[in-house]
Amino acid sequence: MLSLPATILINPAQYLDPGTGSLVLQLLLAAILAIGVVTRVFWKKIKALFGKDTPAAADPDDDEDEE
Amino acid sequence: MRSSQHTPASFRDPSGFLFTRDGILYRQVNQVYQADYDLLMQSGLYERLLKSKKIIPHQEVDCPPAVPEIAYRVLQPERVEFISYPYEWSFSQLKDAALLTLSIQKTALEYGLSLKDASAYNIQFRNGRPLLIDTLSFAKYREGEPWAAYRQFCQHFLAPLALMAWTDARLSQWLRISIDGVPLELASRLLPLRTRIQPGLMIHIHLHASAQKRYAGQAEAAQKETGSRRMDKAALAALVDNLSGAVSRLRWEPKGTEWGDYYDSTNYTQAAFEHKRELIRSFLEQAGPRQVWDLGANTGAFSRIAAGMGILTVASDVDEAAVEKNYREVKKAKEKNLLPLVIDLTNPSPAIGWGNRERDSFLGRGPADLVMALALVHHLAISNNVPLPDLAAFFASLGEWLIIEFVPKEDSQVQRLLASRADIFPTYTREGFEAAFGEVFSLEEAVPIRESRRTLYLMKKR
Repeated sequence: MLSLPATILINPAQYLDPGTGSLVLQLLLAAILAIGVVTRVFWKKIKALFGKDTPAAADPDDDEDEE
Repeated sequence: MRSSQHTPASFRDPSGFLFTRDGILYRQVNQVYQADYDLLMQSGLYERLLKSKKIIPHQEVDCPPAVPEIAYRVLQPERVEFISYPYEWSFSQLKDAALLTLSIQKTALEYGLSLKDASAYNIQFRNGRPLLIDTLSFAKYREGEPWAAYRQFCQHFLAPLALMAWTDARLSQWLRISIDGVPLELASRLLPLRTRIQPGLMIHIHLHASAQKRYAGQAEAAQKETGSRRMDKAALAALVDNLSGAVSRLRWEPKGTEWGDYYDSTNYTQAAFEHKRELIRSFLEQAGPRQVWDLGANTGAFSRIAAGMGILTVASDVDEAAVEKNYREVKKAKEKNLLPLVIDLTNPSPAIGWGNRERDSFLGRGPADLVMALALVHHLAISNNVPLPDLAAFFASLGEWLIIEFVPKEDSQVQRLLASRADIFPTYTREGFEAAFGEVFSLEEAVPIRESRRTLYLMKKR
């Protein structure tokens, strides 16, 4: 199997040069961002456990829909 | 066969292109893009974006394609009446365009698609708000792949916004120099040191610039180093959220304006201001324009008369702060017909890009039906030394009708301009002005503004 930058480089839908450095940075960030997501989910669960329910965030679309 | 004309800005993406035929704008979708286009339309993403007014509506039409051999579909998008460019937007306009792009990317991921580009030129302002005009910007999301448009997003949006917020708002003009956004290593060097401790800017600009430098021409080495690392969808969504946070945290407050206290200073009493408003309204009714350009519009006090009458009004000013205030008012009041833009009339946007044809010049986007030049003529004639006949010819090239205010030398604003220089303008008098403009315009109305020394004219091109 090819490693990631290679698959994205041969994807015909992509007409921009994504930039090697920009891809590498994202792959490195992916790990950190994933930790962030897990932590947030975990934290929400803990808060829910102690009854501190946070209201679900509104769909950002909604407030822009009205005329 | 009827001739169709390829739109000069539409050539980079092989997915399709824009063309005009008989004055109507079409978009050809090419066969190579068939699967992605169908996915956009069938996944529900297009409907969703349409409902939230984030994408330009289009119809699939039966019109023959411009290049049939490679065509899959022909679309007729709704037309955007006035095209503007990111180097003409104020800080909040560029920021709103950036946030729209990210919000679209976030939604696209939910539907199994991803933006394959994130160009600021794909966003236009219509009815007072930004929208995506490039229907072919989406591609099927491929599990594990990073965002191919990440670099473009940072160059087109994040870097200029950061420079405007942290260094100087006038640096938006870098977008005019560099067609694919601000190079990140340049942004990194121009930004103050303290932006290196702002997490968003530290990562997406400074670290990003270093990564670009380190891996330039090193694709193979990069592959070895990253091995089988992947970026799953949750991480990609988190990246988009992270960028969104970085953009949202950037702020710029317009401190006063170049003309800040203009209306309060001596030249206008309340009665004069009201009289001027009344005259403009009546002149507009007389001329009945569909599109007005208010040049030197400041924060848009008089542009709003035209916009309020349902006329699409481009309100340009050289002053970033005035345009920013104007746009904030458009947003606050949800005004639909007003487009504030940063334009330096003494050096208006040129045609730029490939073959000098990718982005049209400001003048090339005219003519308007009516031009308003209020409290402007002295700035051009005296500060910029433009002879009155040249000024008249300039305005005549911009529109059929002209509402223009003559500000005489006795006016304190003109006195201020003349205070530091020799008066080399012997013809700058009401008579000289009427003679010069009378050559190219017929003077339909000339009304002295009450409680002032100024005169307001309605002129029609001969």
